Amino acid sequence: MSDTRRPDGREQVTNSWRVGILALLFTGALSILFFRLWFVQLAAGPEWLVEADQNIVSSESIAAPRGDIVDRNGMVLATSVPGLIIEIDRSLLPIEVEDDVLQRLAAILELSPVEVRQAVERTGSGEVAALPEFEIDADTAYLIMEQRATLPGVTVRALPVRGYTQGSLMGHVLGHMGLPSPGDLERLPIADTNTPIGKLGVEREYEEFLRGAPGKHVYRINPEGAILEEIGTVDPTPGATVRLTLDVEAQAEVERILVEAIELSNALKETREEEGPAETPQPTERATAVVMEVNTGAILAMASYPTFEPQAFVGGIDVDSFEELSERQAFNNLAIQGVKPPASTFKSITYVTAMEENIFPEGVSSPEETIECSSQLAHDFGDDSQHLWRNWTYPESDGRQNLHDALRRSCNIYFWEVALSVWRAYARTDREGIVQEWARAVGVGRPTQVDLPFEHEGILGDRQLFEEWRENQPWRVRAEGWLGGDLMNIVVGQGPIVATPLQMAVAYASMLNGGTVYQPRVADAIETSDGERLRTLEPRVLRSVDISPETVASLRSDLTSVVRSGTARRAFEDLGGLVELVGGKTGTAQSFTDQEGVFHDSTAWFVGVAPIDAPRWVVAVMVDEGGSGGAVAAPAARAIFQYLLGTDVTPLVAGEDTER
Amino acid sequence: MAVLGRSLDGVGGIFEDRPRPTPDVIVFVLVAALMALGSVMVYSSTFVRLDEETGDPTSAMRRQMIFAGVALVTYVVASMIDYRLYRRFPFLIYGIMMIALIGVLFAPPQKGATRWIPVGAFQFQPSEFAKVALIVALASLLTGGAGRRLSWRSLGTALLMAAAPGFLIFLQPDLGTMLVVGFITVGMIFVAGSSIRQMLVLGASGVVGVMAVFQLDVLKSYQIARLAGFLDQASDLQGVNWNLYQSQIAIGSGQLVGRGLFQGTQTRLSFIPSQTTDFIFTAVGEQFGFIGGSAVILAYAILIWRVLIVAAVAPNAFGSMISVGMAALLSFHVFVNIGMTVGLVPVTGLPLPFMSAGGSAMIAMAGGLGIVNSVWRSRSPVSDRPEARDL
Repeated sequence: MSDTRRPDGREQVTNSWRVGILALLFTGALSILFFRLWFVQLAAGPEWLVEADQNIVSSESIAAPRGDIVDRNGMVLATSVPGLIIEIDRSLLPIEVEDDVLQRLAAILELSPVEVRQAVERTGSGEVAALPEFEIDADTAYLIMEQRATLPGVTVRALPVRGYTQGSLMGHVLGHMGLPSPGDLERLPIADTNTPIGKLGVEREYEEFLRGAPGKHVYRINPEGAILEEIGTVDPTPGATVRLTLDVEAQAEVERILVEAIELSNALKETREEEGPAETPQPTERATAVVMEVNTGAILAMASYPTFEPQAFVGGIDVDSFEELSERQAFNNLAIQGVKPPASTFKSITYVTAMEENIFPEGVSSPEETIECSSQLAHDFGDDSQHLWRNWTYPESDGRQNLHDALRRSCNIYFWEVALSVWRAYARTDREGIVQEWARAVGVGRPTQVDLPFEHEGILGDRQLFEEWRENQPWRVRAEGWLGGDLMNIVVGQGPIVATPLQMAVAYASMLNGGTVYQPRVADAIETSDGERLRTLEPRVLRSVDISPETVASLRSDLTSVVRSGTARRAFEDLGGLVELVGGKTGTAQSFTDQEGVFHDSTAWFVGVAPIDAPRWVVAVMVDEGGSGGAVAAPAARAIFQYLLGTDVTPLVAGEDTER
Repeated sequence: MAVLGRSLDGVGGIFEDRPRPTPDVIVFVLVAALMALGSVMVYSSTFVRLDEETGDPTSAMRRQMIFAGVALVTYVVASMIDYRLYRRFPFLIYGIMMIALIGVLFAPPQKGATRWIPVGAFQFQPSEFAKVALIVALASLLTGGAGRRLSWRSLGTALLMAAAPGFLIFLQPDLGTMLVVGFITVGMIFVAGSSIRQMLVLGASGVVGVMAVFQLDVLKSYQIARLAGFLDQASDLQGVNWNLYQSQIAIGSGQLVGRGLFQGTQTRLSFIPSQTTDFIFTAVGEQFGFIGGSAVILAYAILIWRVLIVAAVAPNAFGSMISVGMAALLSFHVFVNIGMTVGLVPVTGLPLPFMSAGGSAMIAMAGGLGIVNSVWRSRSPVSDRPEARDL
């Protein structure tokens, strides 16, 4: 700097070192740019590339059509039909006009604004609120599209919706659809809260097959989100078809007969009222019947009344209808959820126990020996058990009877005597519960594992259960615990025992087919939408019970005599010569008056099989508070057997009232 | 490059009549190459949209090429005019500059600012020319030369000379350009021979100025938002940081070699606002990757280096100071513009020299470089400088 002369001798005009510092500064700045560029493009580049690809692509889900449900012959019961639903894109709906828009929408849909708002709020906080409960027709869709300008964010989208072809027929088996609850979201591998799922019946049980997999449109979008072009489509995989074991025709017949049985029951109640009894029974409202294949567990028909229409749930059921149906317990499938004391239908199990365990009334050593079937039995257990037992099946003495007669005439005395023998021989030993063990072996007191949701397993009392109750639910059981009188109740299907009609059907099927317990099932196969079979649901043996052929043959023979000359004789008269092919047992669970003073009539049962020599079908009928098994349930079963055996189904007429 | 070849022939022809006809061909080639690349980048980021909207995908590029042509002619003309001419009328230059800057304040506002004066189909941006004019005016003042101290009086005059246009530009408002003015002024004062004490005073007043700007609440809310967004770059990606975020996606996704010309999705689909102007570098980064991006930075480095060489070898302080000013101008623009696209500095509306779409900045800078070339051509005899050999 001190030298202001350049080598050529001219005066230096520039502070070179200062320019140099400037050069250094600029070099440093550009170097920083260089290294920053290095970092952004090379170190972080791959991450930015991912973002770049996501930036320009948007996808839209395409709903998969739900699989059909067909009957065993391929008749379509539930299918997927193209529908139109309303969607609200919240990002396009300014909050300050939301109320107005929803009000206008409600006016078009002819709903109250409150209902629309509730529906929108139910869809959660996502950007797009799909309202599948507002399924609309083309005219309404057109109306909405027309008024688009005043309905910002509201669009109409095509979405397959459920269609049921048979009204209320098989309603309980098919089930219904609904939007997933928080519990469903945990239970199922789904995240979409806007797509309805199966909530009941086969719709729920086979959800994973029926659902299919949604597809998607992939679009290239511009920065404003507008679609530029479609760059790919993943087609949805339609849901698989579930083929049921049920037969539409058999189901229709069984449902019709069931309604007839309820009418018969109510007619009988009116007659009784005219005769002037002390108690006024409630009208009969509920009944169920199930027809199952004895050697496969396949259910041919499963009816429960009152019933509901699955279609009512498509697009959301209205609150009033739902409450009305709930009030009538219409959603209960009584065949798997209606737990009632099986009454005398349980005697077949006691019968098998007696034969197999060689336990007979005191002083009797074979099924052929008789005892007096008197009107009552007195026994003092030395505890607080009931002392005097009245034979309610036949209030007067019914003469001398052996085991075969006792089943045919449903003599309580004989079976009580069997219980007393068990008690005398095994009380407080590990064989004390042999009757319950047999019951459990053939399928009572445990889930049948039917492929339907919400099955009840019933109750089968024994010392262990009473101990558990005393621990956990002491109000259910007296302080003394399990007593001999409880066992006497059990052997005739009363007291601490309740079972579903399906359990009784399974029990009869496994006793009469020689001891094979099948899983009852309503689904036969899973097929693709083109009919190709994906999976055949083979009959599944749950366990085998060792029953001697002699016992099986004896039980078959005695069940035949029940319908030929026993408690169900009159009910089965209309079967004519075919009665030879049928065997079964009536049951009448005791009437009672509850704590609120309401009289509950007897529950009528009939469980039977046909053909008796090579059983193919088991039929269980239960009419809740319907009266006598012989009078109401047996005639209904007779009509079902008429249908199964291919003869004309004749109208129901009252059978023998075995209770009074 | 037939066009370039012809232009060079033309330039050569002019210099043949001159006693020392040695133009800086490197600068000319670099400027022309950057302009050509800029035009292609403008095309790549507009053709899809323009084709859709007007059916004329090349219109933006054609416009840019016209500006480039005018700028190159300006460069050549300015190269041929003896720069010493300007020293005779510094007040005239300064006065015209001030009139234009005052005049623009009465122009109709566009995008919330009054930076442009409409001239037919074009927009004339006085502040771009003002920077070059101020460099020339300041250079005529700061001619002390080596070994001489800058007087406080000169310093004060220089600061006042810069403050007046700086304030008018601030009124537009155009914060970026105002900062350029400040940077140029400081750079020139430093090279002109300021003492350490003078630099400290400058630094202190700078700090006071920044504090005053914040305290007096003169910043627009969008300017504060941009600054806050820069300090937290992960926030508000859909809002204030959208530019920065999309810009980094484009550049980052280019990686080493880029996605290929016309293959960049962010560029083609116009994800980056102001991509042809302030964010033109993102088009380079996405399509040509790190190799292309660093080549552009290298090109600017060479260009600035050439201008600084002129500053060092200029035959007089006036020419030297013009070169210093131009080097500072180019450096600041390049650093702030590229720096903002890669998240290094806050988003500021400064064009990338010779590449960003728009005519004013390109023509003004080309003119400024032409003046520098005029200085180069008038330097001491060719033979004593190795870098001045016939190119």
